[in-house]
Amino acid sequence: MVGPKVRRPYPQLISHLHAQEPPKPRPRAAPRGAKKAAPGAAGTGATQDAGGDTQEGKRALAEDGMDVDRPTDAADKTRRQKAPLNSSAKDEFAAMLEPFYYGKSLTDPIDTARDKWNLLPAFLKVKGLVKQHVDSYNHFVDVDLKKILQANRYVRSDLDPKFLLEYKDIRVLSPNRAEEDNLNGHYKSTITPNECRLRDMTYAAPIVVDIVYTRGSSRVRRNNVQIGRMPIMLKSNKCVLAAKNDREMALLEECPLDPGGYFITRGQEKVILVQEQLNKNRVIVESAKGIMQASVTSSTNERKTKTYVIQKKGLMYLRHNTLSEEIPIVIVMKALGVLSDEEIFVLICGDDAEYQDKFTVNFEACMQAKIFTQQAALEHVGHRVRLTKKFGRARNYHLEAIECLANVVLPHVAVEGTNFRTKALYIALMARRVIMAEVNPNLVDDRDYVGNKRLELSGQMLSLLFEDHFKRFNHDFKLGIDKVLKKQNRAQEFDAFSHIGALKNHITLGIERAIATGNWSLKRFKMDRAGVTHVLSRLSYIAALGMMTRISSQFEKTRKVSGPRALQPSQFGMLCTSDTPEGEACGLVKNLALMTHITTEDDEDPVRKMVFLLGAEDICMQTGDEIHREGLYSVCLNGTPIALTSTPKSFLVNFRKLRRMGRISEFTSIYINHDFCEVHIATDEGRICRPLIIVENGRSKVTARYLKALRKGTMEFEDFLTRGLVEYLDCNEENDTNIAIREKDIGQYTTHLEIEPFTILGAVAGLIPYPHHNQSPRNTYQCAMGKQAIGAIAYNQFTRIDTLLYLMVYPQQPMVKTRTIELTKYDKLPAGQNATVAVMSYSGYDIEDALVLNKASCDRGFGRCQVLKKTVVPLKTYANGTSDGIDDKTAMQPKNLADPKYGAIGKDGIAQVGARVNQGETYLMKAVPSDTTTGARGNIPMKTQEMRYKLPDPSYIDKVCITENEAGTSLIKLLLRQTRRPELGDKFSSRHGQKGVCGLIVAQEDMPFNDQGICPDIIMNPHGFPSRMTVGKMKELHSGKAGVLRGTLEYGTCFGGSEVLDMADVLVKHGFSYTGKDYLTSGITGEALQFYVFFGPIYYQKLKHMVQDKMHSRSRGPRAILTRQPTEGRARDGGLRLGEMERDCLIAYGASQLLLERLMISSDAHNVDVCERCGQMGASGYCRICESEKGVRRITMPYAAKLLIQELGAMNIKVTIGLEDEFGKGGYDYEA
Amino acid sequence: MSGYQPQTSQTADSSAIDIHSRAVSYTCGDCDGDVQLKRGEPIRCRNCGHRVLYKKRTNRMVQFEAR
Repeated sequence: MVGPKVRRPYPQLISHLHAQEPPKPRPRAAPRGAKKAAPGAAGTGATQDAGGDTQEGKRALAEDGMDVDRPTDAADKTRRQKAPLNSSAKDEFAAMLEPFYYGKSLTDPIDTARDKWNLLPAFLKVKGLVKQHVDSYNHFVDVDLKKILQANRYVRSDLDPKFLLEYKDIRVLSPNRAEEDNLNGHYKSTITPNECRLRDMTYAAPIVVDIVYTRGSSRVRRNNVQIGRMPIMLKSNKCVLAAKNDREMALLEECPLDPGGYFITRGQEKVILVQEQLNKNRVIVESAKGIMQASVTSSTNERKTKTYVIQKKGLMYLRHNTLSEEIPIVIVMKALGVLSDEEIFVLICGDDAEYQDKFTVNFEACMQAKIFTQQAALEHVGHRVRLTKKFGRARNYHLEAIECLANVVLPHVAVEGTNFRTKALYIALMARRVIMAEVNPNLVDDRDYVGNKRLELSGQMLSLLFEDHFKRFNHDFKLGIDKVLKKQNRAQEFDAFSHIGALKNHITLGIERAIATGNWSLKRFKMDRAGVTHVLSRLSYIAALGMMTRISSQFEKTRKVSGPRALQPSQFGMLCTSDTPEGEACGLVKNLALMTHITTEDDEDPVRKMVFLLGAEDICMQTGDEIHREGLYSVCLNGTPIALTSTPKSFLVNFRKLRRMGRISEFTSIYINHDFCEVHIATDEGRICRPLIIVENGRSKVTARYLKALRKGTMEFEDFLTRGLVEYLDCNEENDTNIAIREKDIGQYTTHLEIEPFTILGAVAGLIPYPHHNQSPRNTYQCAMGKQAIGAIAYNQFTRIDTLLYLMVYPQQPMVKTRTIELTKYDKLPAGQNATVAVMSYSGYDIEDALVLNKASCDRGFGRCQVLKKTVVPLKTYANGTSDGIDDKTAMQPKNLADPKYGAIGKDGIAQVGARVNQGETYLMKAVPSDTTTGARGNIPMKTQEMRYKLPDPSYIDKVCITENEAGTSLIKLLLRQTRRPELGDKFSSRHGQKGVCGLIVAQEDMPFNDQGICPDIIMNPHGFPSRMTVGKMKELHSGKAGVLRGTLEYGTCFGGSEVLDMADVLVKHGFSYTGKDYLTSGITGEALQFYVFFGPIYYQKLKHMVQDKMHSRSRGPRAILTRQPTEGRARDGGLRLGEMERDCLIAYGASQLLLERLMISSDAHNVDVCERCGQMGASGYCRICESEKGVRRITMPYAAKLLIQELGAMNIKVTIGLEDEFGKGGYDYEA
Repeated sequence: MSGYQPQTSQTADSSAIDIHSRAVSYTCGDCDGDVQLKRGEPIRCRNCGHRVLYKKRTNRMVQFEAR
């Protein structure tokens, strides 16, 4: 490796392009130059500075002026010594493997305006790219699980009142194999996630509880009782990969760049996608069909209900599912104990005359119902409560109403004892919102506003699931012990513990099944969602990463509404603006931006205390008059008003100060709503937030000093938070701020500074160089295509056995990269190659975006890829005790040895590793018992079932893995490999949504070349540019060319990157045109081309769509059994369909014979005997109905038509066929 | 056509005769040790107990077409 003081930016995959370039003398300060000269920098001397922040391009010039406080190399040494402070720097390679502040050496001067982006890698180091998932899961395992246990702590018996089981504690242990569950003690499992993948196991850990229960007359305590197994999220704190460095990861055969955040169930990698939902426990005012309504979805641990306050024909009602009809609001208020009309009036309307006018009618409704007392109001409500159970005895309406109002309506507003004041205030608030929205339609809430959304992560989903299963577990457990307790005289003393063991499979299998199938069905919440989990797409590294940041929406895709699909301004910085699929899910599936964090739940109580300490007064003590008085603001905690303050501004400022001091969780948000005169504090889970630099007095709080400490490693991102330099803001709080994008934009009123503007894009859109110069849809297209690019999957890609794996043979990191590429480490697992592109017309095979490829480039490995396909053969065991085996004799018999069909088979009946299999050849000799059903014992003869290779193109056996799954079934996994070079029709794409297929592969001799003899790898038609407006692609070529000449990697970071002017300077300096255009000579004629050609490197991706997988033709072939029509699809060797529209063309043209041939003769022509007289089908020239042979005629018709007639007949619908002579006698027999 | 030639019958004959000694050698996925496995034996490395075994590469000739 290079000398310790030289920080190479990266192992250069594209080194052959520029590595030999001698260091160019550039205007640069001496110390850096000196460092550059360190020994061992061979070949990379020039690249030493490459990583130097080129973002603003003018770096050399800018830095020259600022080389003032230059630390010596001593500082560099301290960095090395202090390196072990960082948890990741456990071995000497870590520093090199993790080039933290890319290419920036410690001694480089710091310019806060430019270097504040260093916070971003610091953020990602702490948070990681998929930290949301991991955080959420950790929160579930460490906190939620205990809360669920607490809520379901006791199990009692109906029969024995003395019996009581109490759960004391619950823990999830470290993951192990299922068979190791009973090996308690200090046994340390050696399980790895990769073993689970290979063996089709579930990566799970035992859940254990501590219980105290009654046995006989004594209380018995048992610790570490296993109740089930919990699937473990990779890289969560329970995972074996947690806090492992790169070397340890390699030992576990795991890729250090793998993001984690998914589960492995039954050998499959499963992701629980982030779900987007409307926020819970908040009032949402909507207007639908002229009806104004305020609705609240209350969600507590016990209940999930929706409550409405609606305005109908000027009157206001409360609506709830358990109430059989809507109840006038005034009656509800009276039932809740607000008795005087005056008070109701003031609580809802305050002193606003307009609101009062609107509301007055409501009292009339109450009067008409003759309800004047709370008692009467409760009776009224009680009469309308729907009963869940039928009771024989008379109903007590009064109590039912109290019960309903306390626990069913708005359950999230807690009622303590009989104090209904909070609930009354809440309903008054809802009513007030409706009136306000009625008066001012601007106050209707926007459901699509990101601040009104909550993201549901895997932890929440699992906690719902676990709670459901745990409740059922307790229920089953209770039934079990009741059954035993029922017996009066038992042989032995009853021990409830023995019943737990029998039930632990319920939780294990329940959770495993939910994750494996994605069906979340919870009886309690009436939730029945399918497709919650997805198989992690491993097409490329970026596809896997993109999947982890994906957010799916609950809206149906069929509805043609633009609202939820549109780009929301509030998405800025939270959700990626470019990454969304095209088509039906457009705008409904979103992706997280780079710096977003999703909150987990924080405790409300300390915040509530803080609110009162800050001088706010309890809202229950206030009258309506006070609550709505001018200048008084109510303080709402998670949407529920709890206090009142007369100094909202200072309250806000003080609260934020406390948060910045770290007295309250940093994810608590507070914002002021002047429309409703409310201060909102949120501590709930699922809010999207992002970090921003705090600006005070027109000055950014993050100064050069802190950045230096960050670079030195003495400060981490957390320290920035605790010191109040950076804070998290959620979408609502962002509205209270004035955020400067760049440091120079900071003005008098600025409160925050963006850490880096390019973080508005996500991980996938971040791959695009110069995206700010592209037309927006092009970036969206690239986001879809980047996931289909073939490249490196992971460092452990060769130890994986996936169903389908595409690998590029020689991947290169892009010449023009972005900061996001470095942060996502795409440059270490790239998916593409830097192709030299000539933008010109060549032959006619480049129209419609087709590309012309250089044959010699393909020979050298351009676009070469490998396709690895898995075949699994489980050796099943059947009910009668027989099981599948392998026939190792047949292929070894002397007569078969020369048979090429068995050529690949080895001594054990399985194909040999490295052997080639052609179409029709056998790769596995499976032996299946001839009888698998009857209980016949003894020697059941085995039938050999040869597993044959079906594809037309041969493969090589890459790997044969023999293993056993958890159930003890033997698995034989074969990995088949194909190496493919580009061919005509293979799909390629640049990073700008410009896809094209290979139209022609030209010998290098015929390619145009420049005066240095450089030939293009790809010729691209210039017509691709004007209408697509992908200026970014041109800039990529321009910067890339300069980078190649100078020997540096250039940057195309969004809103930054290398400048065109600087790049032009470099080009000129190396004797090229500043435009990037070259003089080329035709390879065919040897003449100079009459034009200059835009010529340089562009990063090209090979996409997974390859002709070899799609090419298909058929003349005759198999037919479907039922319809006798040709089968469909390539896999079934199907025919090519002449569809409806093609048929329409033929009809319009009048090509009747062609129609007849396509639709009948070449398809399902069938001869039928039809009776002329009765119009029914007969057989063998005889009509059964007419009982004669007289009228029977033989006609040809499509078999599908015959089938239809008979099917209709089966439904008792008679179809008669009328026959008519058209051409006279002597028909034509079409069939056969 | 490229590919490998089927083995001559000489060696195969001897293995076909002696059924009982036909143990095939596999490689352990964990310790890389050699595992001799006969038909019907549990799939497990005798050394480390790992249950993922890989088949060894063929000793027959494999010819690739370079292109």
